[in-house]
Amino acid sequence: MNYPTCYFTAIVLLLAAFPAGGEELWSLQPLLQEEVPAVRQADWPTSDLDSFVLARLEALELTPVGDAGPLIIIRRASFDLTGLPPDPADVNDYLADERPDRFQRLVDRLLASPQFGEKWARHWLDVARFAESSGKEFNFTYPHAWPYRNYVIEAFNVDKPYDRFLQEQLAGDLLAKEEHSQDKALKIAPAFLALGPKRHYANETEFRADVVDEQIDVTMRAVMGLTVSCARCHDHKMDPISMRDYYSLAGIFYSSQPLYGTISQRYSNHPTTVLPIGTGAQALHNVAERHEEKIKVAAEELEKQCTQLDEERKRLSEIESQELDGDSDRQQVEVDSIRVKMAKIEAENVELTEHKEQLESARPPRPAYTISMCDRDAPSGTKIASGGNPTELVGEEIPRGFLTCLTIDTAALPSDGQSGRLELARWITHKQNPLAARVMVNRIWHHLFGRGLVETVDNFGALGKPPSHPALLDRLAWKMHSDWSNKRLIRSIVCSRTYRLGSQVSEAGNQLDADNRYLWRMSPRRLQVEAIRDSMLLVSGSLDLAPPVGSTVTGLGDRLVRDVELDLLQPPSNHRSVYLPVVRDYLPKIFELFDFPSPNLVNGSRTATAVPTQDLYLQHDPDVIRFAQLAAERLLSKNQANNRLRAATAHRWALTRTPREDEIAGILELVSQVEKMDQTGAETKQPAEVIAWSAVFRALFGCAEFRYLVDVDESAGS
Amino acid sequence: MQFSQRPLTRRGWMQRSMAGCGSLALSALCGSSAAARENTRELPKSHFKPRAKRVIFMFMDGGPSQHDLFDYKPELKKRHGKEGKNEGAILMGPRWKFTQQGESGMWIASELLPHLAQHADKLCVVRSMHTESSAHPLAVPMLHTGAFQSTRPSMGAWVLYGLGSVNESLPGFITINPTRIFGGPSNYGSAFLPSTYQATRIGWIKESLKDVSIDNVSSPGIPAPVVAGQLRLIQSFNQALLERTRAVQDVQGAIDSLGLAVRMQTALPHSMNLSSESPETLAMYGIGEGPTDGFGRQCLLARRFAQAGVRFIQLSLTGWDHHSKIDLLADRCHEIDRPVAALLTDLERQGMLEDTLILWGGEFGRQPEQQALDGGGKDGRNHNADGYTVWLAGGGVRGGLSYGETDPLGYEAVENKVHLHDLHATILHLLGLDHTRLTYHYSGRDFRLTDLYGDVVEDIVA
Repeated sequence: MNYPTCYFTAIVLLLAAFPAGGEELWSLQPLLQEEVPAVRQADWPTSDLDSFVLARLEALELTPVGDAGPLIIIRRASFDLTGLPPDPADVNDYLADERPDRFQRLVDRLLASPQFGEKWARHWLDVARFAESSGKEFNFTYPHAWPYRNYVIEAFNVDKPYDRFLQEQLAGDLLAKEEHSQDKALKIAPAFLALGPKRHYANETEFRADVVDEQIDVTMRAVMGLTVSCARCHDHKMDPISMRDYYSLAGIFYSSQPLYGTISQRYSNHPTTVLPIGTGAQALHNVAERHEEKIKVAAEELEKQCTQLDEERKRLSEIESQELDGDSDRQQVEVDSIRVKMAKIEAENVELTEHKEQLESARPPRPAYTISMCDRDAPSGTKIASGGNPTELVGEEIPRGFLTCLTIDTAALPSDGQSGRLELARWITHKQNPLAARVMVNRIWHHLFGRGLVETVDNFGALGKPPSHPALLDRLAWKMHSDWSNKRLIRSIVCSRTYRLGSQVSEAGNQLDADNRYLWRMSPRRLQVEAIRDSMLLVSGSLDLAPPVGSTVTGLGDRLVRDVELDLLQPPSNHRSVYLPVVRDYLPKIFELFDFPSPNLVNGSRTATAVPTQDLYLQHDPDVIRFAQLAAERLLSKNQANNRLRAATAHRWALTRTPREDEIAGILELVSQVEKMDQTGAETKQPAEVIAWSAVFRALFGCAEFRYLVDVDESAGS
Repeated sequence: MQFSQRPLTRRGWMQRSMAGCGSLALSALCGSSAAARENTRELPKSHFKPRAKRVIFMFMDGGPSQHDLFDYKPELKKRHGKEGKNEGAILMGPRWKFTQQGESGMWIASELLPHLAQHADKLCVVRSMHTESSAHPLAVPMLHTGAFQSTRPSMGAWVLYGLGSVNESLPGFITINPTRIFGGPSNYGSAFLPSTYQATRIGWIKESLKDVSIDNVSSPGIPAPVVAGQLRLIQSFNQALLERTRAVQDVQGAIDSLGLAVRMQTALPHSMNLSSESPETLAMYGIGEGPTDGFGRQCLLARRFAQAGVRFIQLSLTGWDHHSKIDLLADRCHEIDRPVAALLTDLERQGMLEDTLILWGGEFGRQPEQQALDGGGKDGRNHNADGYTVWLAGGGVRGGLSYGETDPLGYEAVENKVHLHDLHATILHLLGLDHTRLTYHYSGRDFRLTDLYGDVVEDIVA
């Protein structure tokens, strides 16, 4: 078999172009601590962050464009912080608010809403390649993956310190032991390591090696921005990561056991337990298990009886088929006795079957379960697998440890009794490690500006791109080190003047920095698929903001996904998109169309395509048609005096701003056109006005402004 | 994805606009050939003249038996029933009669494929294929994506990424009746390439094409004039937005994409509607006649899509995994024989065979011996990744060529061996793409369809 998990085409080509050697890799250097730079346009910055940006612009002879108007900014901040458009009533309040800090107040309100966590958790779930099935050729459901999704949402909502967040995901089970804690979050968080794509039919050796490889990959890329898994087969050609480094990490993960569940069935050879969670979960679990045991006993008993019955039946037919040998009486006696015995067994059988059925219909409630991790017995290092092939181990055992390119004197190495995940987590979150903070603040920046200060958000290695604003990146990383607070960092960025720039283009900007690398304006962005779907649901009035209980996948049980009816896999839902089941290779249609990233890969930066199948979806998909109709009914139920008012309301619901005259006219034209149409041929018997306003909402959902965050000249509108 | 005012690079443009609108359509949209030249600057330099403009890939799911179809082995026939290479295993000669066909005298089991046999001089039969794995779950992704360790872009996605598509109204990559297992959608997916490059799927494996359709080209219950009215309103909103915002590129992208959508709404159902075909054509493809109807429809659709400029079309037929009852191979062959022959005839008649590359084959082949020893039947053959056969036709390959050899009994390729990576490299080559330079930067390095491997098989290029 071939184990080329890493290849060096590009690397070889680039060797000449780049200086080799890890010592020089910028991302591994200690955080810079530069003074806030002085700027010529001293009245422009409203924060230190702005001064860093402006200084860079001034050095390039660039001037920032004007600020975005209030309607743009409330829409931008609402989508960026909660993934939803602003409520029209809130827009009115905001516009009427004359306090100088009205924007900060808005931001604080958005940050405090539960929708904040639902938006930002999804960003982390992208890099955590969260999914509810194994993927690969034989794709098995993971019914107990959803608690991890909820854990991440909760973590962002309560602003769990980022260092703690990482420690829990890498070693929550070990923290629980150390802290004598029953906190269920500590059971759930390590699912991060256990829910990667897996080939459940592989043999034990390959399976474990692949799981370990995937765990190293996700940890190092998601958290450190380093591609370490190349070193499974060879020393990394560009980054200072050796095979020895890789196998020192591998030892830590080989000493750990992922608990992802699954059951033993065809193509599924590596089932594990999952952990019961919630109040009284263990007791409930025990009761349920004991009950299952009883069912098993009854089933075995029944089985035994059936065998017995079969044997008697066989004996009977043997006797009956024998030639009469003259002693027919004796034969008859024997036959009778067998018949009596059989009757007795059959009677018992009926009873036992009833008993078993009773037991089966009275299964006690089960608790919720979660995927998790635990340590294996006798943690130890591992040997190097030649060429990455786990059946060819060579040399001596490599002691467990971390990457040698980053020496942290005060960090403890893995101890004898434990896998070493906790030590790894502490090494990663140690303040002498500049990478964890740099990578995370860059991820946050990326989500607020559409591009990171380091464009290659998942790669801080030699093949990644260098930062556009190194001093600013490190300034933010310092801030992260001071309190590890995601919310405070997000707040400080969103409240900056840089974030509030308009997206208009300036002549000079376009000439000197057309890419807007140096942030002389806000780059327009397309919304992510969750925001597009959630907005339609919101406008329709049917968005259910309450989180659902569990996941659709839980109810499906442990199965091959291909055996599940698609309708069962993706039933209609009015919940926010973050709660839709993420089954590998079977994503909701809208996810596939609007660039939801592959849950097989660490993916901190989504693409944003514009393809016709998206437009076709927005015009014809039954879900969208339903949303549009509900929105029309909701609009008509408001009993507004005339269609002009309705047009303005519909427009504000969908696009936040009040429409201009030509836009109202366009809407009214469509309404009257449709109302006049002969509807006798239509399949659905709805009032003509519902049909007409449904068409209006489908048009609003389909227009560019609905799914792009772009500036629109506000002067003519509200 | 970034939005900016700079002239888009070709790659950037492709990432943003639809796959069904590549370089040609691009210049039309940009309104100037200068812009088009500008945009092709980042093209993976495909420095040879393309021999083929499009691909029709017929995936024979399960691994057809080359011993009974194309790889004629007199020695195997002679030693039928004797012990084979593996202890206790009994050799199984071809069950059907091979004859020499065409001017080239190519050996084909003409008894099984009588119609295809008449096209022997168009076929380039590669008998020395070998691949990495003889297990379906690994070999199927390997065939489609060149890898099985991790999820990689599919062949069609790479081709579309490299060339774009000339059709403004249809997707550039279409897969008909694909399999749902062994990787399922990732066999026609785009992996880390932008989702633009993934295939549009029509139906699932074994589904009758009579009843399938593409999603979302119409809304049942909503009259077409209503849809037309709402599309007009969208376009007027978008136009107004274009004038009022400076985010020109993004809004223009949305406008273009909607324009394409409107065209696709008509073009797709039109392409899929076979009623405009003459009864003679339908009969030639075997449509309406039981066993050949399914693959006949696939082949005719392929011709229609090819005509419309679709870049990569994949067809699939399952049921080639003959661990026992190899006699059933005759049924499979019957299903494809007339349709495939009809497609070759039809393409030639339309003058399209010369720039349409056809690839026929499975994920691997089969063993020259019975499988009785390890669970199969005395009348079945096990998988074989060390030697198997695929054939190509049209688009720049040498017709009437039997290329490469397996050993006398057909266990493994021995002469002019062609690894699957080599086949991938050659397909790209025929399309004018250098497989070592058709790369995509992802996760810190450049990826390609052929990984670190693959040599173009110059000998089969006409």
